[in-house]
Amino acid sequence: MSTSLDERDAAARPWYRRDVVLDTVGLLARLFLGTVLIVAGAVKVGHPLTSQRAVQAYEIMPMTLAGYVGLALPFVEVVLGVLLVVGLLTRPVAAVSTLLMVAFVVGIAQAWARGLTIDCGCFGGGGQIGADETKYPQEIARDASFAAAGVWLWWRPRSLAALDRLLFGH
Amino acid sequence: MAKTPPTKGKKPANARQAKIEAARSGAGAGANKIVVATVVVIVAIIAVVAGVILSTRGDDAPAAGGALPPGVSAMGEGFPAFSEVTPEPNAPTVDLYEDFQCPACAQFESLVGPTITGLAAEGRIKLVYHVKNFLDDNLGNGSSTRAGTAAFCAADTGRFQEFHDQVFPGQPAQEGQGFTDELLTEFATNAGIEGEALATWETCLTSGRYDAYVDSVEASSFEDGVRGTPTVRINGEEQDLNTIVSPEGFTQAVEAATE
Repeated sequence: MSTSLDERDAAARPWYRRDVVLDTVGLLARLFLGTVLIVAGAVKVGHPLTSQRAVQAYEIMPMTLAGYVGLALPFVEVVLGVLLVVGLLTRPVAAVSTLLMVAFVVGIAQAWARGLTIDCGCFGGGGQIGADETKYPQEIARDASFAAAGVWLWWRPRSLAALDRLLFGH
Repeated sequence: MAKTPPTKGKKPANARQAKIEAARSGAGAGANKIVVATVVVIVAIIAVVAGVILSTRGDDAPAAGGALPPGVSAMGEGFPAFSEVTPEPNAPTVDLYEDFQCPACAQFESLVGPTITGLAAEGRIKLVYHVKNFLDDNLGNGSSTRAGTAAFCAADTGRFQEFHDQVFPGQPAQEGQGFTDELLTEFATNAGIEGEALATWETCLTSGRYDAYVDSVEASSFEDGVRGTPTVRINGEEQDLNTIVSPEGFTQAVEAATE
């Protein structure tokens, strides 16, 4: 348990369990996931129709609802990304980001399973593509790696150079 | 996360713990987490809502006051080409969905365009064009809409097909460069629009007379399940591009759908 580490003598722990190491991992996870979210959101801003169509192409939600999700998603991604990079409310933001990534993985997996031939539209673009152009395994693996960073921060949100530390002292 | 030791003892276990205790009790525990969280959530919601509103701005009521090209009776419907030809009674309807900026459409047109127009001219098919503009959003320009409006302005002078057939071979080498006004005018002149008709065509294009119609076709074709361009439907049935992308393949598909 991470919580008990604080009470133990630092010198008694192996190097990889020391706070400074774990805090650095947290910082890297924040910057990784945060940057990915900012980039993924920013490239979609200014292309509202493409973003709507990308979500609608998954054929999960009703068209109108999927349209609104497509409109909002770029901004949600940027907001989550910025919060992660500055390290504000790391745990709840990491939880939301992880669930978002899990939702993406589920969306891609169901498109694959149902035989849809779409681009995930993860970093812009999206929509129907040729059957030989799909990249489902790569897309799932990529989003899973983003989710892994989110899970780390959900489980242990403490990290170096975070606003949380400045504001709340931990 | 720092945590109170299980023991109730007031004495800090070590220097580090002392610092944590000091930070917690001193300075009123810093910022109030609930206040900060509330502010962040409110700001985040405002940012997302503002973003959504800004990105949808300007595309309300696309059909309001828009003109319909000749032969089209409602917004969202395709444009019937070769209206001067009386089709054979059993001629199948060929619906062709294209975006003027789509390179795959240009390739498709170069391979079977003449076959399609030939069949339409002979009255063996009823050819309906659905001019889409989704690439405008994708490429960040307005060229698909402008070229579409330009084509329907050409339809006003009876030169839609001639204009249409100029656009695809005349696509800029790089996707996304868009069509300049000079290029569109060149298409119009090559399509045989000249003199007074050219002036009318220019006025029509400048006023964006058919912009709303092109928007409506984009929306309705997507609702009809058209997910990419080119899409070809014969009597409503979607065709596999690989089989119809040759003159023989296309003609066979048409013959199979005839009678």
